[in-house]
Amino acid sequence: MSELKENLKAQIIEQLNLEDLTPSDIKNEAPLFGDEGLGLDSIDALEFIVLLDVNYGIKISDPSDAREIFHSIDSLASFIESQK
Amino acid sequence: MYYIHAIQSMNNSDVFKQEDIHQKLVEVSENPTLVTPDFKTYIAPTALRRLSPILRMGITLAKEVQAAVDQPFDAISVGTGLGCLTDTEKFLNVIYTVEGDVLSPTAFIQSTHNTIAGQISLDLGNHSYNMTHTQNNLSFEMALIDGMLCCEEGSKNVLVGAADESIEFLNKLKPSVFDSETLFTTSATFLAISADKMESSIAILACKTIANAAEISVETNAFLAAFGLSLEQINCFVLNTNELETPANSEVFHIDDQLGFNQSSSAFAVHVAHDFLKSSTKEFALIVNRSSNNYLGLILLKNDKTHN
Repeated sequence: MSELKENLKAQIIEQLNLEDLTPSDIKNEAPLFGDEGLGLDSIDALEFIVLLDVNYGIKISDPSDAREIFHSIDSLASFIESQK
Repeated sequence: MYYIHAIQSMNNSDVFKQEDIHQKLVEVSENPTLVTPDFKTYIAPTALRRLSPILRMGITLAKEVQAAVDQPFDAISVGTGLGCLTDTEKFLNVIYTVEGDVLSPTAFIQSTHNTIAGQISLDLGNHSYNMTHTQNNLSFEMALIDGMLCCEEGSKNVLVGAADESIEFLNKLKPSVFDSETLFTTSATFLAISADKMESSIAILACKTIANAAEISVETNAFLAAFGLSLEQINCFVLNTNELETPANSEVFHIDDQLGFNQSSSAFAVHVAHDFLKSSTKEFALIVNRSSNNYLGLILLKNDKTHN
């Protein structure tokens, strides 16, 4: 699980062009969206959908689930594990 | 007449926030590098990470010009010959290489047509008219004519500009698509124009585009004659061609010596001509923008400072 989380951080940094961040700057439990976290927005949420599809073969069938799944690295990793 | 109240450029010469740039031009090197400020001082980090060079330049220059005129724009008109090439190349690569049902949205959004003027409007929080014109190397002239028409319709402060960026793939298209031996470069110029004179003395008298222009001298003389002028009365020429015989006592700048091949070069030519006139008592400058496909752009500038 910890390896998956580190991979996710690296993939997010690359996919979203977060060039000023390193994986260690992203806390597992911290919110990814909104002012309290990384400050990601709705376009980034679309990029997350692409990332999950391309890298993990997972499709988000119900968009209303996205808010919970994309909350943090912890929630993303748990969702990916649950789909295996 | 349409007065230029502020003008800024960014390219491979150190011209951003500089004055008298006609005296600071540097010949294009074999590996031209874009000279930029720290974009983080102009664009929020959350927005900056998504923006390719052409958008970073456009937004930064627009903000600098708006700060100089100290009022929001009534219209935004931008020209680009080839548009957001970095994002377009990225998007096409994703289409061809990524297996899956979905594609990255950012590269798609920013490879679309009105991206430059649209992104400037978004970043400035400007809800007025915005348009991006694409017409080969006459894109800036088209944007300028649109801006002048906005002034005619009552706009008091219009942002006009042009931007083009170079990517390595362009060099593979020579000479089949681009009949040019010169290097591709990245360049952008933005200016604020208004029909009101205010403190400015440098004005755009006219801008004309001509398709299938066979004889440059014939077209240029006809253009000048409409204002009671001849070639001998033009003090400064900024051009990208050797086809026009310029008067011996005139100042001549060959813009492709500085910019190489760039379809927004006529916008930078306006900046060079503007600074030449501003620093002198000379009266007229002419920008001659010729392309290999017989397009011709002509822009006439007048120094209103000493010649009313």
